[in-house]
Amino acid sequence: MRRSYRTSTPRAAVESDLFGSSAATRAVAPVTPGSTPETAIPVASITETARAVIEGSFSPLWVRGEVSDFKRHRNGHWYFCLRDASAQVRCVVWSRSQRGIPTSPDEGMEVTAYGQLTVYAARGEMHLNVTAMDAVGDGLWRKAMEETRLRLDRDGLLAAARKRALPYAPTRVGMVTSPDGAALRDVISVIRRRAPHVSIVVSAATVQGVNAPAEIVAAIQRICRFGEIDVLIVGRGGGGREDLWAFNDEAVARAIAGATVPVISGVGHEIDITIADLVADHRAATPSAAAEAAVPLRSDLLAGLRGLGDELSSSLNELAMRARARLENGAASLKRAAEIDAERRRAAIGATAGQLNALSPLATLARGYAVARAVDDRRTLSSIRDFNAGALFTLTVRDGEILARATESA
Amino acid sequence: MSYEKRVARLQEIVANLEGDGVPLDDALKLFEEGIEILRLASDELTTAEGRVQLLIERVEGVFETRPIDD
Repeated sequence: MRRSYRTSTPRAAVESDLFGSSAATRAVAPVTPGSTPETAIPVASITETARAVIEGSFSPLWVRGEVSDFKRHRNGHWYFCLRDASAQVRCVVWSRSQRGIPTSPDEGMEVTAYGQLTVYAARGEMHLNVTAMDAVGDGLWRKAMEETRLRLDRDGLLAAARKRALPYAPTRVGMVTSPDGAALRDVISVIRRRAPHVSIVVSAATVQGVNAPAEIVAAIQRICRFGEIDVLIVGRGGGGREDLWAFNDEAVARAIAGATVPVISGVGHEIDITIADLVADHRAATPSAAAEAAVPLRSDLLAGLRGLGDELSSSLNELAMRARARLENGAASLKRAAEIDAERRRAAIGATAGQLNALSPLATLARGYAVARAVDDRRTLSSIRDFNAGALFTLTVRDGEILARATESA
Repeated sequence: MSYEKRVARLQEIVANLEGDGVPLDDALKLFEEGIEILRLASDELTTAEGRVQLLIERVEGVFETRPIDD
């Protein structure tokens, strides 16, 4: 710092400002402005000169210190002090500079801030105009992730119950990624190898840089509107923390949660866990792993089909066997029923025959009685008035019938 | 019909045939349907060749897919 503070170029510039615009004037009247009450200089001159000196002496640099008096102004700018045991410097982060900073620092947080040291004329204060910042041990990034995680959790988007099951045999896999990236190449090669019948539909997005979150959100929504996919992979290949940062973006997370098909996240390498991973229905460690999770081996599917074919045949066979058994059972019981019926009828006939026998006049005849009947109409002649003298009649006895004549009436 | 729907129908047919309530005539029809589904599903796995396509939305809701060389 001291070295650059002593560079001579800014001082020459400052002198030409303070001592007038022309070297010729300086030579004629070598009066130092501000050296007497008469030559007192306006406040704005000194702050402006101080600003020029400081900005000229310091190139933008990283400063380490502890955050205190952090204030978020309602105009969106952040104000705070960076201090250590013996010194402090005021800092400002204009709202437009905050895009590159994961989140605001906490009070007392040990941070490194990158910025231009300058003078704020309205207050006559020196401050660091901060454009990038991080905390020790990635503290700000972790804090930002944690804040996003909490907001998503509050809305229930991280609940295990929300996780949808992946289709077991998709035929179209969607992928949101950069069409030129390594992730897509990996996914294609895994799917070609495991399930060459599966198609891949790519919805393109820039996956790093300030536009990445918005593009990823748009790409997810676009492919969901398209609709003709069974499962969606969202991801990119490995990179630095900042390269993967879009996948920690809250809007990206909400787009994943709102997808119309199950989503598999595959971001970076094994060790990288992003907010997208927490919201996705399935977290894969890498894009290749995402592809493996998305599609089953074709050979397994074919084996499954063969199994179903076998079941189909055997179920029909069994059905036919059962039908035959039923038919045979039916025939047997029909025969049994007929036999029982015939037996019952035989028994009934026997009983009736006995009754008939008991009632039959033949039994009476067997005991020696005879029945007289008219020859013509075979009516029974049971009274003497039924007989005319000399008339023929029949007489039925135990073993036959004889013709008889009445000789005289009684 | 999607592959998974085909397989689901096939499983339904097998379950029906394994049940007791299907008349033989219907069972034969189901069996024939099952064989046809089996053939289609198997064709889908073995003859279809997956493509890689880039999705383009011309205007909202109007889509086009363009092949990507892989």
